[in-house]
Amino acid sequence: MFSTSSQRKFWTFSDEGELAILREKHNLNYIAKHGNHIDEYQRYNFFLSPDEERLLLKQYELHLKEFCKRFSPPMPKGVVGTAFHYFKRFYLYNSTMDYHPKEILATCVYLACKVEEFNVSIGQFVANIKGDRDKASDIILNNELLLMQQLNYHLTIHNPFRPVEGFLIDIKTRCSLANPERLRGGIDEFLEKVFLTDACLLYAPSQIALAAVLHAASKEQENLDSYVTDMLFRDAGQDKLAVLIEAVRKIRSLVKMVESPAREKVRLIEKKLDRCRNQENNPDSEIYKRKDERTAG
Amino acid sequence: MDNDVTNYTVIGRIGEGAHGLVFKARHIATGREVALKKILIKNLEDGIPVNVMREIKALQLLRCKYVSISQLIPQIIKLYEMFPRGMSLVLVLEYMSSGLWDMLHHSQQELTLPRVKTYAQMLLKGTRYMHAHYVMHRDLKPANLLINHEGILKIADLGLARLYWPDGGRPYSHQVATRWYRAPELLYGARFYSEKVDLWAVGCILAELITKQPLFAGESDIEQLAIVLQHLGTPTEETWPGHSELPDFHKITFPESAPTPWPELLPGVEPDAVDLVKSFIMHLDINGFTTVHSQLPYKTCQSQL
Repeated sequence: MFSTSSQRKFWTFSDEGELAILREKHNLNYIAKHGNHIDEYQRYNFFLSPDEERLLLKQYELHLKEFCKRFSPPMPKGVVGTAFHYFKRFYLYNSTMDYHPKEILATCVYLACKVEEFNVSIGQFVANIKGDRDKASDIILNNELLLMQQLNYHLTIHNPFRPVEGFLIDIKTRCSLANPERLRGGIDEFLEKVFLTDACLLYAPSQIALAAVLHAASKEQENLDSYVTDMLFRDAGQDKLAVLIEAVRKIRSLVKMVESPAREKVRLIEKKLDRCRNQENNPDSEIYKRKDERTAG
Repeated sequence: MDNDVTNYTVIGRIGEGAHGLVFKARHIATGREVALKKILIKNLEDGIPVNVMREIKALQLLRCKYVSISQLIPQIIKLYEMFPRGMSLVLVLEYMSSGLWDMLHHSQQELTLPRVKTYAQMLLKGTRYMHAHYVMHRDLKPANLLINHEGILKIADLGLARLYWPDGGRPYSHQVATRWYRAPELLYGARFYSEKVDLWAVGCILAELITKQPLFAGESDIEQLAIVLQHLGTPTEETWPGHSELPDFHKITFPESAPTPWPELLPGVEPDAVDLVKSFIMHLDINGFTTVHSQLPYKTCQSQL
């Protein structure tokens, strides 16, 4: 149950301000740790700013979505949702300069496959990755434990997909809406976008699911407001209804604001990252290879 | 992260699990005895085993629930914390000094009837607790039923445990459960089954605790099925609806047999106890009405024991 879950207790935050503070904190920590040799006013010429980190992560969330979409064998929605949760949670407490999002992305999807019981071997998994597959599987397996630790071993994710099914069943039984199945297209499209926002760190899966259903209904020129007010929340009280309406409004507006980062900007950030990233965690660096040999020996 | 191995002193080695060693240790700050289960990841081809993920998920789920007065001691082993150590993951579990397997093999005199009754009750409480949270264990057997210093029985090793949905819409692996305790639907390769596979195992365990002999001890999967069917009788559509549609049903046929009378199967066992074992074993259907029906034996156990 979501209400007693670690997701609610530890990974649902009160507002976007709280997320911004966490993200800024590890950005500053990284710079404090690695930036002593650089003049204070020049630091953001070398290091990524919190905004640049955000933009970079938005780009990688798009990569994550595409990777999962093209994955063979076809990946269940729950795996994708869980991978997104892991990715977002990881970067609430870590800087992209410490751990490159490319590497964490693949690890998140791999861990999500296991946790959601979508059984693929590491060989099958890296067959979906372009480039050096042996290297990719080394990176993923090396990062798996780190990722679990950074997630504080909270592996179970409550995604909005099941609540969506619940709402559809409920609408079919209690509402006069004709052919509720036609909402599916709109719902899927909405949920795909919702994972590109911070909604899953701010709202309950059922709230997100309801936002998706209401959005899909309005796209079909239908109105389910009375379903929410007269059926779902009939006995819940005005205050609870107000909270829900605000949550749904906010989730829908987050989704509306989703846009792809400008390609040129991301390219510059990636270039900057190559220089300012923690070389100890860069599998291509000399220092990493030396460290790796030491632990292996 | 403040959790790490320096918080513990290792006292000794308990044994070897599927993925690594298990140590007995003491948490220095509290003096609490714990079991450290060290899972070596380095040489595992696919990284951290799915079994470990399942165990962590199930134990966290069963732990995070609010414990009400009526369930003061949940009969499931506790997972205190986890930490990485080099290329290993260490699970810190509740320390249990003994277990039913040990007692059955090394100290049967401890398994007096009154004790068997209390262990049986605790096993049923634990099983009900898991099922109430939609977790099926899928590997209940004496070796996974541990007992602590206070004589409390707890269910351990949830490496095969998984969440299920009562609608039964998803296939699961049939390669679960240790043979002697494996329900016949699993032996016939069922992919759609329910938490009743645990109830079958519970029935086998209860019988074994009482008679000190495994109820159905097959040397191979086929022999296991043969023994089960020989004793319970060749299934009919009435005694076991839907059995002929199970994946492996037509792969093998066994000689027709009439059921062995229960008093013969459980010689010298008092009739109430026989009825109790029977109520778990005779749950032969592939996916029936899970929650309502499966509550029945739990309730009746109290009066019969």
